[in-house]
Amino acid sequence: MPVRTRALAVFVIVMNLALAACSKPAPAGGATAPGVRVTEVDLGRSLNADKTIGDNTDSFRPADTIYASVVTEGSASNATLKARWTYQDGQTVDESVRTIAPAGKATTEFHISKPDGFPTGKYKVEVSLDGATAGTKDFEVK
Amino acid sequence: MGIFDRKDDPPKAKPDFSNVQSGSSSTASAPTVPTGTTGTTTTSSGGTYVVVKGDSLSKIAKREYGDAAKWRRIYEANKDIIKDPDLIYPGQTLKIPGA
Repeated sequence: MPVRTRALAVFVIVMNLALAACSKPAPAGGATAPGVRVTEVDLGRSLNADKTIGDNTDSFRPADTIYASVVTEGSASNATLKARWTYQDGQTVDESVRTIAPAGKATTEFHISKPDGFPTGKYKVEVSLDGATAGTKDFEVK
Repeated sequence: MGIFDRKDDPPKAKPDFSNVQSGSSSTASAPTVPTGTTGTTTTSSGGTYVVVKGDSLSKIAKREYGDAAKWRRIYEANKDIIKDPDLIYPGQTLKIPGA
């Protein structure tokens, strides 16, 4: 193999390895616990009877109750879902944990409200399953 | 007025999230606890819970119903063994009314 061709081949291999190292972690749906995985995280102001979101939105008013609906698939005798809500400055707004024993598709909702209204700004909710991040959603209070 | 006269803006106060209320619920059932360990065994019609160190009625209510404000429901169901809702003891078995 000519030197230039070999150098090109080495360059391509190195670039592929670098790209693989820089790629994002699996998005919501890829994680996590054996038997159970999060397939969907939605936000809204209201819930349906089956705990799914009635009105998907990422824009809220200060007085709203903010719901995060987490759909899981699979079964487990004990799985821990956690919702961690944070403000734009990194401050933790709330952390809620729910242990579930799903047998198939299940929906778990987390909600937060603030009697004197949420400060306007950007927020994030991070959902984890058994300690591994399973999805995040950004939203704004205007 | 020169640029050296400019005063810094007062530091913005951090938002206070201490009064945020939260909760959760699920279509999935709660895990059952093997015999001999503490924790909750809950069915749709209720269950029992063995108090562990660090528990309070509001903590238990939050875990069971996703809402700490529902502690009174547990208190009402256990008035025969709870004299003061601020005082529960490890090892006490509480009745947990259905959600």
